[in-house]
Amino acid sequence: MVELERRGIPTVFFTAKTFVHDAQRSAASFGLPGLPIAVLPMPVTNQRPGDVHAMVDGAIEQVITGLTRPVEAVADDHDLPAADEHLAYRGDDLLAAWDAMQADFLTRGWSDGFPLVAPTRRAVEGMLGGTRRAPGDVIATLEPGFGLATVEKLAVNAVMAGCRPEHLPFLIAAVRCLAEPKMYLRNKAMSTGPHAPVVIVNGPRGRAARFNGGICALGPGAPSASNSTLGRALRLAMMNVGHTYVGISDMDTIGSPLKYACCCAENERESPWEPYHVTRGFRAEDTTVTVHFAYGLCELHDFKSTTPEDLIGVFATAATNVAQVGTGLWLLGRRADPRYKTSEQERNTMLMCPEHAQIFAREGWGRERIQRAMYDATRIPFRTLTLNKERAAMAASHPELGWLWDHPELPVPIVEDPGCFEIAVVGGAAGRGAYFYGAGEPVTMPVEETP
Amino acid sequence: MAQLEVLNPVARPVRHSIAPAARRPDLSGATIGLYWNMKAGGDEALTRTETLLRERYPGVTFKRYHGSVGFLMRHCTAEDSDRMAREVQVVVGTTAD
Repeated sequence: MVELERRGIPTVFFTAKTFVHDAQRSAASFGLPGLPIAVLPMPVTNQRPGDVHAMVDGAIEQVITGLTRPVEAVADDHDLPAADEHLAYRGDDLLAAWDAMQADFLTRGWSDGFPLVAPTRRAVEGMLGGTRRAPGDVIATLEPGFGLATVEKLAVNAVMAGCRPEHLPFLIAAVRCLAEPKMYLRNKAMSTGPHAPVVIVNGPRGRAARFNGGICALGPGAPSASNSTLGRALRLAMMNVGHTYVGISDMDTIGSPLKYACCCAENERESPWEPYHVTRGFRAEDTTVTVHFAYGLCELHDFKSTTPEDLIGVFATAATNVAQVGTGLWLLGRRADPRYKTSEQERNTMLMCPEHAQIFAREGWGRERIQRAMYDATRIPFRTLTLNKERAAMAASHPELGWLWDHPELPVPIVEDPGCFEIAVVGGAAGRGAYFYGAGEPVTMPVEETP
Repeated sequence: MAQLEVLNPVARPVRHSIAPAARRPDLSGATIGLYWNMKAGGDEALTRTETLLRERYPGVTFKRYHGSVGFLMRHCTAEDSDRMAREVQVVVGTTAD
């Protein structure tokens, strides 16, 4: 709509009451804070036609006003950065002052809800010792709020998350992943879906920085302290640097605990295959961070199977869950950001435990054969795959597949091609992995050398 | 009394600014674009909008649009926006939420 206004075309768009702040904030970030909105009492999704018509009847005067009367200037004053870059909190003692900081940060929306480490000047300077970069270096401009991700702002959020200085280069790499145009962060940050950034660390410096790829790698607990703090720092950076704030620019219907922190290393030592980051174009000796947004995860439990074929049969049941938005989403097209002409496949990440990986490896199976087997084993009837999909969207994206509506029982792949199953080896002993229902494609970035 | 001094964690944003389009005081005779991003229910909202505006304004005509890229949600490319700007005088859109 902003792009049409830029071209001299008056616009108005319908928005549900719950999403008004979100819509206003989005329009403001693109430079038009007063963009006219016709407010509906409810979203029009899941509504009967008559109910939609009744809501429009009640909002039609707003449509007419928006198209015919001059747009009033509206100040965009949501959560602007405090004018002062230094904040002071007082109390009877330092613990009381720290409590006051926690309360203020919560009020401002700067906290994930858990207590934060105080980002004192001394702590931030210590964190900055983890990188060769200057504090003022701009790593990226982070959407949806177009916040300037300077090294210092990332360091402040890293301190708040409990990171150590050696983690800062990993956070910088993860933020570079988020800012890559193909990541389409705006969509994933603002959506009603619970998109959580899943972080996978690979390479020798990941091990040196004590990122855990073994027992309970996704946490919680002491072995995963590096994982937990980096994951948390990335969430805080999305909030305070990218301005992704719940209820304003993060409109999750139900949210997800994965959004607090979701990070692990690959268990390269116990993997029978080349490291995951090598499959993404890097050398084994490189250290990298991969970020893949996911909607949720399902356990890949199997203590019984001893053959690749049986394991695939079990894993396929997790992948064919149509209640997960990404299952069969390729039928509606590709996630795309028209500003950058990007398009993404919908991929899923399998964290395979070492014992399951060994069952495949001893029969000579590598990643590609597993991907192909998953692709073949996860075909489900077209009728089932399209239970929650808009037929018009499929007609717009794949008009050549319209004949499928006349063959509802025909098994159809749940993903676009076999490469849509990403595979990393993670975890300790026993046959339990994790299947992440992904959102778009992962992005991998190298971790810069440390001082 | 103790004091704790900390650094502000919030990044300054890059600001953009776009002037809104001049409005059309009377919609009579206008060609109105109806943009649906293909989220469920949005088409119904636009159908009802068309009915109500047709009743109110003589001579209005309508053109339907959806973006040419995307998946669950369709998005307009720059070319889509250019085409709409050539073909209609105002646009009503729905994003379904």
